[in-house]
Parts: sequence; structure tokens; C-alpha cells
Amino acid sequence: MSKQKESCIRATLASATCALLGTTSLTPVNAQEEPHWEFDTALLYYGENDDRVEDISFNALAIRNFVDDRILTLSLGVDSLTGATPIGAMPFDGPQTFTSPSGLQVKTRPATEIPLDDTFLDTRYALSASWQQPWGRLNTFSAGVSASKEYDYLHLGANFKLSRDFNQRNTTVSIGAAFASDELDPVGGAPMPLTQMLEVGNLSNRMGEQDKDVLDLVMGVSQVINRNLVVQLNYSFSSADGYLNDPYKIVSLVDPITGDPIPLPPTGAEQPSHQYLFESRPDERTKHSIYGQAKYYMNGKVLDASYRYMTDDWEIDSHTVDLRYRWPLSDRSYLEPHFRYYSQSHAEFYRTSLDNTAPLPVYASADYRLGEFDAITFGVKYGWKTESGNEWSARVELYSADGSVPTNLLIGDQAGREIYPDLDAIIAQFSYHFDW
Amino acid sequence: MTTKPLRQICVMSAAIILGACSSLGVEPWERDILAKEEMQLIADPLEVSIDEHIYFSKEASSGGRGFGGGGCGCN
Amino acid sequence: MRLGIPKFRWRVFAVTFIVFFGLTNVRGADQIDIASYEGKVVVVDFWASWCLPCRRSFPWMNEMQSKYADDGLVIIGVNMDTELSAAQSFLGDYPAEFTIMYDPAGDLARKFDVIAMPSSYVFDRDGEQVAQHLGFKVRQQDEYEALIIEALNR
Repeated sequence: MSKQKESCIRATLASATCALLGTTSLTPVNAQEEPHWEFDTALLYYGENDDRVEDISFNALAIRNFVDDRILTLSLGVDSLTGATPIGAMPFDGPQTFTSPSGLQVKTRPATEIPLDDTFLDTRYALSASWQQPWGRLNTFSAGVSASKEYDYLHLGANFKLSRDFNQRNTTVSIGAAFASDELDPVGGAPMPLTQMLEVGNLSNRMGEQDKDVLDLVMGVSQVINRNLVVQLNYSFSSADGYLNDPYKIVSLVDPITGDPIPLPPTGAEQPSHQYLFESRPDERTKHSIYGQAKYYMNGKVLDASYRYMTDDWEIDSHTVDLRYRWPLSDRSYLEPHFRYYSQSHAEFYRTSLDNTAPLPVYASADYRLGEFDAITFGVKYGWKTESGNEWSARVELYSADGSVPTNLLIGDQAGREIYPDLDAIIAQFSYHFDW
Repeated sequence: MTTKPLRQICVMSAAIILGACSSLGVEPWERDILAKEEMQLIADPLEVSIDEHIYFSKEASSGGRGFGGGGCGCN
Repeated sequence: MRLGIPKFRWRVFAVTFIVFFGLTNVRGADQIDIASYEGKVVVVDFWASWCLPCRRSFPWMNEMQSKYADDGLVIIGVNMDTELSAAQSFLGDYPAEFTIMYDPAGDLARKFDVIAMPSSYVFDRDGEQVAQHLGFKVRQQDEYEALIIEALNR
């Protein structure tokens, strides 16, 4: 006899809860309990080009079903991060030296290359728990908590969600909220925005622990169109408050004619080679997104198509198109190609460098993640089910982001330099789903 | 625009949307395909959260997705 | 549990069975002998292989059928699967000790105005609908059983 599985999934904000139920092949004389666990595990490798970030992580979801659609979901993630990331400095045809975030040493980067800063060998742990249950016949309620910890960052969060069905459960209206309270304690202390990177041992422009609070609200409607098609439309609002800077990123001061960084006069101490200012972002950010998704069943194949538009008060607009096509190869296996297109405009205060002779703006960041770029992901996933009903899957994806620097941000003789650190990354994941 | 007409418009829009939605859909016993694992709006929650984390680290947008609906519609 | 609307009189119920089950694909030797249901309490339950609460209800329905058969309870499970193989596979894993009938076109479900899966309708010995429940909650089994007992004792 074979196991049978059933899915009735309703997702929360922070993490999705998934009800997957199966039974053993023994004839259930009194099988009114579903006293077992379901596990979803995944091993992930993420690797960028040119000695940049590499991440290996293990992720797991444990789902415990209680009778009558009550579900407890626990999740765990452990990430091990190594590698370097662009620091925000303007490249030129000479080497550049930077003080490390701890203030303990200097590192020199070669000429013309986009300077990178070593990310620490860091391990991140993330945990979450959530509970979901019906409330009356037509409503579902869920609540959860989440936490994550890394060397310099602590996150604590709580989330709630309420759904109600209408029209014989063809229409579902949901609202949800998530609160996050984060603490940052950067290595060496958070630098005062727009102050200079100082010599080794000088931490006079560093501040203490910083806080960041985020409120997320989501409202959505999902609608069954016909036997083969279900669609969803969500509106999200996000408001972040507090320390929103990246404490390890800088912006170069450059000469208005040459576009090259301004050298720091040598003092005999170990110090940066040029004048660099720590970045400065506003202490508030409000985002609005609209997200639409359709899942369409075509004779065994499933097409999943979604689009998201995001706009915020940093003047970033983004578009995300995501397409997945699940194609069964047999009763027990499938292939799922995946295509994703993402594009964003740069933040209002995004600057690839600052004119040394002009007044400083209030906010400035050279973080490539706030720049203007397009990114494409191509991937394929293969999944197969064993005799006992457990499932393996493997996916490989290539992510490629190409940025552009608007000419009005170029200063002096910077045209023709490779300024934006284009990104190529490989994502490989191996997953195993099993019952216990 | 004063608040009263604006509120009336909001209420009417909600009523129109729910009203329009009421003519779409299937009978409760016709949800066999919608009940399939692969037809859930989030079919693989672990993969979605992994992707969300990757793209959140590399891009300026995050979230937006993830809610209930569809499925077997049972109980 | 609210009393269902519309209520069916026994004759209408009987006609429904003759008309609709005569037209749909009735498996095996499920001949409906109308006379044999008079004086019985009948529970008509709509289920499908893909419906999780339906799976939870089968052991309970088996228990009810065997416990109250002598008192005159007849449970009829009406299967809504569009593919017979799915229903048969389900019944292989969860054998039913009560009558199973098939309504793949949904005609009977429409006639009963089924608005939830699963749905159960309880008819007393005179053929009048006296109760229904929408969905199946394991923790409400005793309440469902009380409805059956009440119908048996009328």
C-alpha cells in the first residue's frame, strides 16, 4: 500500500507553514491522530565570482500536525559565510589601503580593481516557531516568533496573520503583520556617518550599539478562477526605523577633475591611503509593494508566474518577474526550470563617489545593492519521490546582476571605469523531505 | 475630496471586488487539482525562504508574497 | 448543527436516488433497494480522496456503522472523485465498512447543495433531513455521534 500525501498550505509572513500529511500503510483501525512530524531539509551552497561571498547553509523545517488542521512549525537555519564584498570605494589606477572595521589593521587593494573588504568568517543562526489553527469554520489564525544571531547582529521578531474564506472558499482574504526589533553591534563600533575612515587604533568616531525596528503589513486576496487556476494579489507596506546604514561601507572623496580619490598625507601611522567617508543613510524607510501570482495547471504541468512592483521613499523602484514551470517526467519525478528577472533603480542618495570640493550631502551610500541594476536568474530543479513517499530534490541556479552608473553620478574623468561591481553567483541546493 | 465620498468609494470597491469574485471559482467537490501539493501558492516553503534570504542580501527589495488561499478548501 | 435547508421528504429523496444513481456509473452490486431504507436512519456523506478531513472521518464512520447497524443506521459515502482510480486507491488504504456510491459528475452534490467538503446529512426513519454538518472535526466526533443517536431515538 502506498502513502498518500495531502497539502493544504497557508503561508505566514516570516516563514511559511506547510501542512503535509501522510499516514503509514497499516490499516488505520483508529487512525484519528496524525501524531507525526514532517521534515523539510536543505543544504545550500552560494558562491560569487572573484573571491567574493561564499555561503554554505543548512536549513530545516519541522512540521508537527495536530488534529483538526492545527499546525506547529519550527525552523532552523545555520549559515557559514566567508569571502569579501565591495566596500564602496571608487577604483582608480593606483592601489588603495583601508583600515579594517575593527580598526586593528590595514589592507591594501590593487589598482583598478573594485576594492573589496573581507567579510568575517561568520556563522549565522536563525530560528523560528509558528502556530496555525482554524478559528471558526471559515477563518485561520497564525502567530509566530523568529530570531537570528550573527557576530554583529541580533534579530527578534513576531508575526500574526488572519485569513477568512468567502464564496465557498473560492476567495480568501488575509491580513498579516510582522514586527522586528534588531540590534547591531558592528566590529569596532558603528562609525558616525560621513566621518572619515581613521588610522589603525583610532576608534574615536565610533558609536555604541545601534537599533533598528521594522514593521511589515501585508494584505492579500487569493481567488480560485477555475479547476486549474488560482491567483493571488497582495499589497505590502514596510516601515523601518533606526540605524539603517551598513557600518562597513564607505564612499570615496574624489578630485572633481581627475575623479581619483584624495590621498591622505602620510603620518607614519598605519592608515588609509585616501580619504574615505563612512556612508550615511536616512534613519527611516517606507516601502510599498504590489505582488501578483498565478498558478496554472495544464494537464500535469504547473506554471507559476508572479510579478512584484516595489517603490519606497528612498526613490528605489523595482520590478521582479518570476516564472517556474513544473514538468512531470514520471509519476515520481519532475523537472522545474526557473527564470527570474529583477531590475531596480538606484536610491536617491546613491553616490559612487563624492566631490571633495562640494558641500557634503546629508545622505550618501556607494553600496552596490542600492544602485541601478538588472539581474537575471536561470535555474533548473529536479525532484524525485521514493517508494516510501519521501522526496529528494536538487537545483542549480545562476544569478547574474549587471549594474550601470548614471552619467550624472560620474565625477571628473570616471567615464569608462568599471565602477559597478557586477555580480555572478551560483546557487546549488540539495533537499530532502521526509516523515517521521 | 472629502472623507465621506472616499470612504463610500472604498466600501463600494471592496463590495465590487468580492462581488466579482463570487462569480468565479469551483464547487467544493471540484478542488482535486487545487488540492495537489504542486498547486499550492507556496509549494516549497523552505526554498522560498532560502531564496528570500539570498535576494534580500543582494537586492533592495524583499517580501511581498506569501499568503493563504487555493488548496483543497476542506473543513 | 443547523437543520439543513432544503429539507427532503423521503419520496423526493428516493426519487433522487433512482434518477441520479440510475444515470451515473454505479460500481459493483450497489443496487438501491428503496424499501430497505424505510425505517432506517441514513447518513449521506460526501467525500473525496484528496480531502484530508474525509480521511480522518473514515475510521469514525466505520465505527458508527458497526456500532449502530443493529439500531438501523445506514451510512452512505458518496465519492466525488472525477477519477475512479483515485477513489479506489483511497479505499485500498482506508477500507470502508459502509456503502459507497459514486457521483463523479457532481449531480447529487448539487442536488444536496453541498457547500463544504466533507458534508454529512442525517435523515431520520421517515426520510426527513434532521441534521447536517459541514466539514469533519475529530474533536467534535461526540457531537456528530449525538446527532445520530438522536435520529435513531426519534
